Parts: sequence; C-alpha cells; structure tokens
Amino acid sequence: MPDQLDAYWTIAVMTIVTAFTRIVGPVVMSRITSSPRVEGFLESMATSVVAGIVATYVAQNGYREALAIVVAAAVMLITRKAGMAMLAAVITAAGWRLLA
Amino acid sequence: MRNLGMLGLFLVLPFALAFGAAAVDQGVTALQATVMSATVFAGAAQFAILELWTDPLPIITISLTTLAVNARHLLLGAALAKWLNLVPLPRRLVTLMVMSDANFADTHKNLKDGGTDVGILLGGGIVLWTFWLIGTAAGAYAGNLIGDLSRFGIDVLIGAFFVTITAADTLVPKNRLPIICAIVIAVASVNILPQGWGIIVAAIVGGAVGAFRNA
Repeated sequence: MPDQLDAYWTIAVMTIVTAFTRIVGPVVMSRITSSPRVEGFLESMATSVVAGIVATYVAQNGYREALAIVVAAAVMLITRKAGMAMLAAVITAAGWRLLA
Repeated sequence: MRNLGMLGLFLVLPFALAFGAAAVDQGVTALQATVMSATVFAGAAQFAILELWTDPLPIITISLTTLAVNARHLLLGAALAKWLNLVPLPRRLVTLMVMSDANFADTHKNLKDGGTDVGILLGGGIVLWTFWLIGTAAGAYAGNLIGDLSRFGIDVLIGAFFVTITAADTLVPKNRLPIICAIVIAVASVNILPQGWGIIVAAIVGGAVGAFRNA
C-alpha cells in the first residue's frame, strides 16, 4: 500500500489537473471573438459530445446494454418523455438479466 | 433537474458505491477514496487510475491519465462559455468545479430550449457531487455488504439518460449529420484510442461539421 503522504499528494495533483480541465474551456472562449462559424461549432460539438458518450457506452458494453439504449431511444422518440425512456431501459435490462 | 435527481439516486449512488469498494480493493484507503471523490469528482478518471494505484505511485502516469480522461471537460466548458462567462467569478469557479457530463447535458438542453439560467449547472452538480461523495464513502467503508446492482437494471440508467438527449437532438434536422459523424467516430475509435479520447475526437469532428454548415 502506498505511503499516506504520496497518496494524498497524488490525489492533490489529480484534483489540480481535473480543475484545470474544467476551467480552461470558458477562459479560452472569453478570448475568442464569436461568429456564426464559432457558434455552429460549439452547438454541434455539444450535441456530438453526448452522442459520442452514448456510442462509446454501447460499444464498450454488451447486447443487454445495447438493447436497453435502443429501447430508451425509441420510447423517447415516441413519447418525448425522458423519465419514461429511462424507466423502459431499466425494465429491459432487468428483464434481460432475469431471462438470461 | 428532476431527471438528475433520479440519476443521482439510481445511477451515481451505485456507481459511487462500486468505486468506493473497488478503490479499497486496490489498496486506496477508505479515507483516501472519499477525499478523492470530494476533490476530483470525476468518476471515469477515478476508475481509470485505480489500476495504476501501486507502490510506489506512478504520479506522472496517473496525472496524464487523469488529464486524458477529463480532457472532454474543456469542450463542455467551451460549449457553455457564452452563459458561464456572464456569471460572477467566484460563483463561476464553484459551478465549474461541479460540472460533469450529466449536469452539462441537462443544462445545455435547457439553454438550447430557450432557458437562460446556468444556475441549474451548479444545482445539478451539487446533487451529483453529494451522491458521489456519500456513495464512495459507503462503498469504501462497507463495500462488501453490497451485492450486484445490475440485476435490477439500474446500471443502464446513465446510458439511457444520455440517449434521451441524443434522441431529442435528432428531431432537429441540422443536428443529424454531426450526430452520425460523432457516433461513427466514437465507435470506430473505441479500440484504437486511449480511454476518453474517442469522445473528444467525435465531438471535435461533429463540431467542425456544424462550423462548416454556418460558414
């Protein structure tokens, strides 16, 4: 087990690095003059981050998780209610585990 | 916000319990794990460094891994900058310290729908942080008392939460091409790029598509 002091020093460095990643975005943007192109980039980027998170989640998991995500997407598109979609995904995943 | 409360209880809490238990297994003390969750507050990065937690600690490798996995925060902060930079500095800093994927997605959706209040980023962040902290402590101090939560299906909540946002985004035609590009790139890079970078490349390419459309 690592030395206590080393452990807390490592946690402190992780904290600083993570805080840096959180602060830098708005600082950089405050120095960039906005334009339709910049706005288009930021808006599509924000949409794409979330799509990328979903795609990565599905790619790193199995058929059970993939099916749950497809069900959630379908329920969302039909009902437009996020709570219903999330509930449907959970029921699908629990049902899969019950049957598998 | 209501969805974030549900997410905090059913997803962040189990995920945090799992982190606390896994951390103690890896030789992180329960107190260290709890302090880490309170100050770093970045689940994916915290899980990623557990495998590197050896004696002596490879601090450079741990720092670079933390940077790589959390680099997407730069993009999240940039996307919200227009609203965040109007907030007084002390409050802006506190808000940024609790910015994570889930409250970012919630806030950005709200702002796109015409909202102007970036306060939900802070409120949602505090909710998520609280669950993350309590869950880590519980998992670290009493981890072996908790069984496998996946049989209840709640492990898929995080993915389901994000896909509801993407599904709603696809209803707006101009979002479709960036979304398709992002999905293709993220899936293709899963086994090629280090953890965390596929999402960043996907986001930048998706953003570039949007930039060219407005050119």
